[in-house]
Amino acid sequence: MSHPLESIFRPKSVAVVGASNAPEKYGYIILKNILEAGFQGPVYPVNPKATDILGRPCSRSIADLPAGVDLAVIIIPAKAVPQAVAEAGQRGIRAAIIISGGFAESGNEGAALQRELVEVARRSGVRLVGPNCQGVNNPYHGLCASWPLLTQRGEIAVISQSGTVGAALMDWASQERLGCAAFVSLGNRSDIDETDLIDYFAQDAPTRAIAAYIEGVKDLDRFRRVVTDCKKPIVVLKSGRTAEGRRAAESHTRSLAGRDELYTALFRQLRVHRADTLEDLYDAAKVLAYLPKPVGRRILTITSSGGSGILATDWAEWSGLTIAPLPGPVAGQLRGLLPAHCIIANPLDLTGDGTATLYRRVVEITAPHVDYQVIIFGDPILNAAEVVTPGAPQLVIFLGGADVERQERERMHLKKVPVFPTPERGIRALARLFAFNEVAT
Amino acid sequence: MTSPSLPTDPSRWLSEPDALRLLSTYNLPVIAHRLATSSQEAARAAQDMGCPVAAKVVAPGLIHKSDVGGVRLDILTPDEAAAAFAAMCDRVRMQDPAGAIHGILIAKMAAPGTEVIVGMVRDPQFGPAVMFGLGGIFVELYKDVVFRLPPLSMAEARAMLMEVKAAPLLTGYRGQPPRDLDALATCACIVARIAEEHPEIHQIDLNPIIAYERGCVIVDAKILVHG
Repeated sequence: MSHPLESIFRPKSVAVVGASNAPEKYGYIILKNILEAGFQGPVYPVNPKATDILGRPCSRSIADLPAGVDLAVIIIPAKAVPQAVAEAGQRGIRAAIIISGGFAESGNEGAALQRELVEVARRSGVRLVGPNCQGVNNPYHGLCASWPLLTQRGEIAVISQSGTVGAALMDWASQERLGCAAFVSLGNRSDIDETDLIDYFAQDAPTRAIAAYIEGVKDLDRFRRVVTDCKKPIVVLKSGRTAEGRRAAESHTRSLAGRDELYTALFRQLRVHRADTLEDLYDAAKVLAYLPKPVGRRILTITSSGGSGILATDWAEWSGLTIAPLPGPVAGQLRGLLPAHCIIANPLDLTGDGTATLYRRVVEITAPHVDYQVIIFGDPILNAAEVVTPGAPQLVIFLGGADVERQERERMHLKKVPVFPTPERGIRALARLFAFNEVAT
Repeated sequence: MTSPSLPTDPSRWLSEPDALRLLSTYNLPVIAHRLATSSQEAARAAQDMGCPVAAKVVAPGLIHKSDVGGVRLDILTPDEAAAAFAAMCDRVRMQDPAGAIHGILIAKMAAPGTEVIVGMVRDPQFGPAVMFGLGGIFVELYKDVVFRLPPLSMAEARAMLMEVKAAPLLTGYRGQPPRDLDALATCACIVARIAEEHPEIHQIDLNPIIAYERGCVIVDAKILVHG
């Protein structure tokens, strides 16, 4: 049984309405991105004034499109959009991504136009993403109906009321070779909203965690129901927390930002993680998507950098984690293995002698005695990627390793082990797994 | 659950006896109290419930009772209660000659404990929200309050109590006995239920509730009703 939003994420064929030959226009950029992301089905540019765009023959109108197109990406002046959506419905197209701006965000006239658009879409049986949005990217389907061109596959689904904020997240994840499960820019949310998308990603196979930037929840009752049913972790960055911020949110996407402390209550009760910053949103999503749930709070830090170990310890203490002492026999075993100047305690400081081989031995020996290992690589440690195990209760932090760090981080990300750039960001993210008192103190 | 239907005037604060009566029907632990309409009744009330008592004027339209001398605490004898009745009526009449006085509420002085606040506000977007905080500077200066959206389970209410920064004051700070968290959580749950069963109630302030090692008592209650 397929989800109602399937034609947005996994269309068989796509039309780009308002495709353009001018490289600076979104009608060109989006068509190019869809082609270059490796979309497997037919792609049809629609433009009455062009014969072909990017080597693809152009349809003069939506009515001229061949049968079987299930998604339209629309990038034409706002006033022409309702008519285009009506034609799309007549041609059997079930979903449209409206990139065009000039709707509710632009004043009363635009708001009226948006109401007309929604009415037409409903009558025509077309579901809408947008308007005023940055599109949809599903790297598992070669569908980059968005910008920039990003194709790295991962396990974090990104939902964003701001195109840029969401794209930034996906960009970071791409650059780190961790990737995303999908990216959706909601824009004005005239039809499809964050709740519809949570409902979709809850059943989307590649998605392991959902990260959302929103300025307000559109339908609180439905949000509660859908989030309650969603088995995957969700982290939300909700802006408009101050009086001035609320005002800005209202003019940005016409969102009712609402009382912040009540959002805190709502998220808390629904077991939705709340991020404070964009970085925090990304870090939390990484932990929630890739790391296993802990069975207890005892952590052991293994580091080659004393300072980083202390920073991690401070943050762990502030986060309510337990800095577990090493059991006597384990300490004895390590004493026999490690050079005399290593500090056998928690943090366990391997100092400059921390090679990958040594790390691996120490990780093996100590793993049975703690609930989570915090592994800090604080030097250019070659083959660090071979120390860590996907799906194991290990939080990995890498810093001060320059080119080796970048190479090893990429290797770790390709094997689905998330890497954090600083002790504080890593531990703060790790603490997410212990939120909501799911783990005994 | 049945509860008394409330008056349907436009938006207004319930009188304190009405507010306490409503809370009592939900089995909330309200302070022992009685409305006196004469000096003699005031003395009798003090006698019956045992001193020390407090006296508070009950006059519709009088929001800031203490500003006009409408509150007296630590009354030690029934005679003092009778005298307070007369003096208080005089003072309030002097301030507001046209205002009606329904009587003087004689209430038992609560033993010292930890002051907390349980409240409810109805938000246009979220609907009812239950609030919890510790009394005094914790709410006023530090804004150290947490909210929950009904329905509220006991587990969720307990978690709410522990979420305020001042929570250690409830769990045995500096040799103090721990406070009865279940009693406070029960108050929060009942306030959530009142909010659901009484859509006409717009705001509830139980401020303060005095929390003890066992149990708690609501000393002051304000309820805002929309007509």
